[in-house]
Amino acid sequence: MAGIYKGKYASLGLFLALTALPIALGIGYALLRSMGLAGLGAEGFTLRHWEAVLSGGEFWRSLGLSFRVAGCSIGLAGVLALAAVLKAPERWQRGGLSWLMYLPLTLPAMVVAFVVFQMLSGAGLVSRLAYKLGLTSGIQDFPNWVNDSWGIGIIAAHVFMATPFFIILFAQLYQSERLGEYAQLAATLGATARQSARRVIVPVLLRQSFPTLVLYFIFVMGSYEIPLLLGSQSPQMVSVLTIRKLQRFDLADIPQAYAIGVLYMVFVAAAAVFLLRNNAEKTSSTC
Amino acid sequence: MLKTMLKYTFAGAVLFPFALLLVFSFGQNWRFPALFPALWTMDNWQLLLTSQSDLAQSLLRSLSISAGIATAATGLGFITAKHIAYHPWRQQWLTLAYLPYIFAPVILAATLQFFFLRLGLAGNVPGVLFAQLLIAYPFGVIFFTGFWNDRMRAMEQLSATLGGNKRQTFLRVLLPAAQGALLVCFFQAFLISWFEYGLTTLIGIGKVQTLTVKVFQYIGEANIFHAALASLLLALPPAGLLWVNKQVLFKTS
Repeated sequence: MAGIYKGKYASLGLFLALTALPIALGIGYALLRSMGLAGLGAEGFTLRHWEAVLSGGEFWRSLGLSFRVAGCSIGLAGVLALAAVLKAPERWQRGGLSWLMYLPLTLPAMVVAFVVFQMLSGAGLVSRLAYKLGLTSGIQDFPNWVNDSWGIGIIAAHVFMATPFFIILFAQLYQSERLGEYAQLAATLGATARQSARRVIVPVLLRQSFPTLVLYFIFVMGSYEIPLLLGSQSPQMVSVLTIRKLQRFDLADIPQAYAIGVLYMVFVAAAAVFLLRNNAEKTSSTC
Repeated sequence: MLKTMLKYTFAGAVLFPFALLLVFSFGQNWRFPALFPALWTMDNWQLLLTSQSDLAQSLLRSLSISAGIATAATGLGFITAKHIAYHPWRQQWLTLAYLPYIFAPVILAATLQFFFLRLGLAGNVPGVLFAQLLIAYPFGVIFFTGFWNDRMRAMEQLSATLGGNKRQTFLRVLLPAAQGALLVCFFQAFLISWFEYGLTTLIGIGKVQTLTVKVFQYIGEANIFHAALASLLLALPPAGLLWVNKQVLFKTS
């Protein structure tokens, strides 16, 4: 081990081989395939698959849904987490709850999606409770909360996963930024609890957690398992749409899948590199 | 009053999925509008103990893959991170490490599937291991970049001043100092692999049946009781690791 440790260039070479090289190969092949220059049934240089993706509307609807779902999930989870931390900041630092809030993080996305399906589907637990309470007369009366075009089930699953994570994040920031002391100072200067929260605590929490919120937003946009189980047939979130087109028997759909993959990568990379460039140092130092 | 309500609401919401999975894992026949399964049985759990059981094999396969990935990602990440942390282009290197996550592992796997097929790495465990390493190794690097700070560099210099060679410094100074961080990274890389579905199913082309693949298969077959059991098996090891992880975090802090 110590031998490898000496090899600076071997280390950096390995890093490039396992990070940059696969990405470059993947994007390169996807570009060639989407332009008809590689793969089964390669027809020679053409941009028709790109035109089909860019003008067809399916990709844009899919990107729009992914963006909407990520925005709603992060927004709802953020508000819930902020409310929980502002209401009782000390409760999340020690005691039983501080351990319990880590538990949802041990559930894989697929399991969360499965549980949400069993809760919110027409034959799910909530629907059964509604029937028992006389609110519905059967499965058909229950609203479509899963596999719906609004992505309600997907958002519910992501909110369940993100809220505890944000509570942990905000509670740690509350402590490390000594926001309790700032709140006391604001109170001494005559601020009400609401003013102190709105003008002091929340702005600091949001500013400090901004890189993490951006990364989580991108994570939700690219999520696969949850929309696969809880999403509708149309529109589909970008990851699901890409894989569905890739696995179709129609060979004309496969180049489109690669075009969508490249477009998505370019879209999120441009956004993320721009936003994270100035924050990578800060984020890595939290280790 | 409100704080107590908040506490119980949160605790209930957190524990509910585990309770639901536990109930289903012992149940059979859940017809609308019953709130609970009509039959309670150990049959689902006995499936695990059956020799040649698919589920037991998937559990062992997932454990082996995740342990292998966690070991490789932690070891390689620890070493690579040192060179990146002290590199003048540290920030640029780190940006590269974030890319597999930003691009979404499943989309990255889709673009790489051709190469895995060509290299004979599709549909087998070595291929899945290599594919998961592409996700877990950058995490290890990101994780340890913060560890290699000025304090560690000063400790290395002190060890050299006192006559220690590089090997001794590594084995007797740096490794013991990194013990807690190594353990935490191991657990988290284990979880990355343990939770992985999209990339595993694409590169494994459905042949490498890890637990997540099995859960999806059961859901597809509308076998919610086996799906619940497999889900519980997926959730329990991370919950155990979390407990150990938190003990280590508390100790190190």
